Amino acid sequence: MTTAARRTVTLTVNGAARSAPAEDRTLLSDFLRHTLRLTGTHVGCEEGVCGACTVLLDGEPVRSCLLLAVQAQGRTVETVEGLADDGRLNALQRTLKETHGLQCGFCTPGVLMSLTAAEREGLDEEETAGQVLAGHRCRCTGYAGIRAAVAARHRAPGGPRQAPRGGGAEAAG
Amino acid sequence: MTAAPAGPGPDDTTARPDAPQQPTGGPIGRSVPRLHDDRLLRGQGRFTDDIDDGTALHAVVLRSPVAHGRLTRFDAGAARADGRAVLVLGPDEIARHTRPLPTVWRIRGQRQDTIELAPRTVRYAGQPVGLVVAAGRAEAEDVAELVETGYEPLPAVVGTDAALADGAPLVHPEYGGNTAGSARFGDSEDEVERALAGAAHVVTRELGVQRVAYTSLETRALLAEWTPGTEQLTVWAGTQVPHPFRYGLARALRLRVDQVRVAVPDLGGAFGGKTVLHADETLVCLAARLLGRRVAWTEDRAEALTASYQGRGMSATARLGLDADGRFVALDAHITGDVGAFVSQAGTGPFQVAAQAIEGPYRFGRAGASVRAVWTNAVPTGAYRGYGMQEACWIRERLVAEAARELGLPAAELRRRNLIGPEELPYTTRTFSTYDTGDYPRALHSAEQAVADAPRVREGRIRRGAAAVPSIEATGYGPTSLLEAAGMEAGGWESGRIRVNEDGTVTVFAGVVAMGQGIETALAQIVADRLGVPLGLVAVRLGDTDTTPRSEFSSQASRSVVVAGGALMRAGARMRERMHALAASLLETSAEDVRLDVEGEDEPVFRAAKTSRTATWAQVAHRGWLGWGRPDPDRIVLEETVDFDPPGLTYAYAAHAAAVAVDLDTGQITVEGYWAFSDSGPLVNPMIAEGQIAGAVAQGLGIALTEEAALDPSTGLPLTTSLRDYELPAPATVPTALHLSHTSTPGTVAPGGFKGLGEGGMLPAPVVVANAVADAVPEIARRLERTPLSPYRVWTMLRDAGLATG
Repeated sequence: MTTAARRTVTLTVNGAARSAPAEDRTLLSDFLRHTLRLTGTHVGCEEGVCGACTVLLDGEPVRSCLLLAVQAQGRTVETVEGLADDGRLNALQRTLKETHGLQCGFCTPGVLMSLTAAEREGLDEEETAGQVLAGHRCRCTGYAGIRAAVAARHRAPGGPRQAPRGGGAEAAG
Repeated sequence: MTAAPAGPGPDDTTARPDAPQQPTGGPIGRSVPRLHDDRLLRGQGRFTDDIDDGTALHAVVLRSPVAHGRLTRFDAGAARADGRAVLVLGPDEIARHTRPLPTVWRIRGQRQDTIELAPRTVRYAGQPVGLVVAAGRAEAEDVAELVETGYEPLPAVVGTDAALADGAPLVHPEYGGNTAGSARFGDSEDEVERALAGAAHVVTRELGVQRVAYTSLETRALLAEWTPGTEQLTVWAGTQVPHPFRYGLARALRLRVDQVRVAVPDLGGAFGGKTVLHADETLVCLAARLLGRRVAWTEDRAEALTASYQGRGMSATARLGLDADGRFVALDAHITGDVGAFVSQAGTGPFQVAAQAIEGPYRFGRAGASVRAVWTNAVPTGAYRGYGMQEACWIRERLVAEAARELGLPAAELRRRNLIGPEELPYTTRTFSTYDTGDYPRALHSAEQAVADAPRVREGRIRRGAAAVPSIEATGYGPTSLLEAAGMEAGGWESGRIRVNEDGTVTVFAGVVAMGQGIETALAQIVADRLGVPLGLVAVRLGDTDTTPRSEFSSQASRSVVVAGGALMRAGARMRERMHALAASLLETSAEDVRLDVEGEDEPVFRAAKTSRTATWAQVAHRGWLGWGRPDPDRIVLEETVDFDPPGLTYAYAAHAAAVAVDLDTGQITVEGYWAFSDSGPLVNPMIAEGQIAGAVAQGLGIALTEEAALDPSTGLPLTTSLRDYELPAPATVPTALHLSHTSTPGTVAPGGFKGLGEGGMLPAPVVVANAVADAVPEIARRLERTPLSPYRVWTMLRDAGLATG
């Protein structure tokens, strides 16, 4: 039996500097949920298949269950809690609500983070509904409402299609 | 209108007729956004694993690594000596502190009527044998590795064929065989045999539906807290059935039920997997009680796929007899159900429902089904969404499609000759189901039309075909008398309570549970509609044994809107009358003279037509709680509670169509288009209804194509232990061309004419896909007897038919 190594992890989460001790073996998902108490990020499989735990690390979507907390040292993490604008749902969140793109809401935070990254990258509707959603498993919706949200965002004035590559209205806000 | 309705009491079956079923202009029938979506979208859901603020201890369950064996050694010495161990429980301590769990749904001849919590003889890989508690999950896992166990292996019984073979090892030797119980539904075997003997044509098939894992994205989880001073156990649990959960815990832990509170946080999906109390959940609560602390446990995905109960697991020898005109003269099914290591609380129920539902929307001269429930060394089975009815639809519609193919008749024509027509309703089947309302031929016609022009390609390496099938969904379980007759220890009634608070807000309490299906929004719509108040005034409280009405079935079996909604329809009508009577007394007029309008800032206002005097809804509510001006001196509290025990089941129906492509080189099936024509009576919220149907179709496609909880045939060890092996329907599995349509034929059972719809979407999905594959590749139609139609399985059929080489 070895005593687990422990060190302080300092990172930026949703724009705020955070610092907390973590064992080397602690997953980033567990660190966010249980140490920083940001429980919006959900854990569905802990093996990188379901995508529920997706967060943005330095802007890139990653499975937080496949990373150690110490790997996020000095980096920037965005989670679902950071999406709403002063408590008001952002345009993507509103769209998902309008299209009934969620039921139990467990996979939703990961879906939101992947779609956020796709919008910032300026991916088109086909790439988003095809490749991006392929990285997520939703047991409730049959993906119908989520696809409808993607389609609605690409039709909406000021939606991602019109957004400049690398930063849309949401990212700028 | 009388000044006040009759006093509270059991349901008023003799009272005035229920509210009219035509649209009222109120919230019923509107696709309003769901009330709780905002917080879920913000990441402010509160799921069970989100609750612990760092003060709880964490549990890890010790599980059997073998499918069948005797635990000969459980040495926790090293584990307990580790400074991080807070508690280690083995089978002996568990037995000392507990009683077995009760079962609920039994079958004739079933002698195993309890469930052992941590037996010394293990009967499936993953069965709990102990529990470790430490400060954190990781520490508990470290300590768990120090527990030394030894097993004397016993031969594993894998699958029901092996279990029923001569000389098969016995899963429960004390019962002298591997049959847990059996039952017959509908016509007797002799009668059906006679009818089959007289048939011009008989189709016989060996049809099966695989075991599947529920796989809600949120696994099972609970947080248990024992408060030593008050001797109260509080359990936050991801369960669909808080009251039966409480009852089982109290029994097992030797507590009074009123010492236990079960509260349900947000549920990340359930699909039937959270309808029973599992042994491991009980052990976590035992640990909390022994420690006087908070103990949290969240199942990991491997446990969810192997140790949580599973669904389906059925095979049947099924025969359809037709006369020379293609009329169905007889249907028979001998269903063998794999109940696994022991009969769970839901146990044999799904197999019994398959037998009960065998006929679907057709007329048969004679029809019956036998069920034999069989123990094996697999994890027990339970109630997965659409249970029984999906298996019955698979059996029936494969037989019908095969009969059409063998007779050279168009399947549509064969179905049309045998479908029950709308003029025949209500119609009682040979298994004594009484269908209330609907038009099954119309639904099927719509589905057939949808794929009339779908591509049929029978040459080249990509084949294409299409099919349409009808289905029936029994909803609104159930009349309590039916459950009692079925040997099920459960009441089917629901209680709905509406409280108008002193500020005019409305709080609704019901026994059903929110698990992502949107029931809290639907119930709020019903109550707002009945009271005539804005939706924003209504809050719905569910899932807490301290505050919400007792319910046995809660949210499962497509019943929440029918039964809980039915109760609230009536409670709403009563509360409306009381509020109008109170307003009339304040406005010094008659109740008939009072109108409730919503004005300005969503403020409901009572107005007396004759005097033009007004009073706000909130003013009337406030005076009501003061007890001022009440027309009935005995009634003050502004609450109305109605218990609704539905007089019968109410039958939703649908017809689905699918267009598929089959790649002869890979065996890959692609569903290119899917159509569902559904009728669940008037829809409370069409948007939510469509979401339920789309999601259920996707789960049906999982059964059809991708999902199977498989065991190694020699060792009985699980082969699908992660989402890499257990393939959930992915976006690519579900066609973008998914078309949903509705008709709305009111039922005759529930107030509002509501019918359920939570499960209906998955009933025909597997068989409509298989029938479309048979249309595309008739060379393998004969062999499409079991799901999933995985690429390997299909490719093997194609190879055997000389269509693929490899």
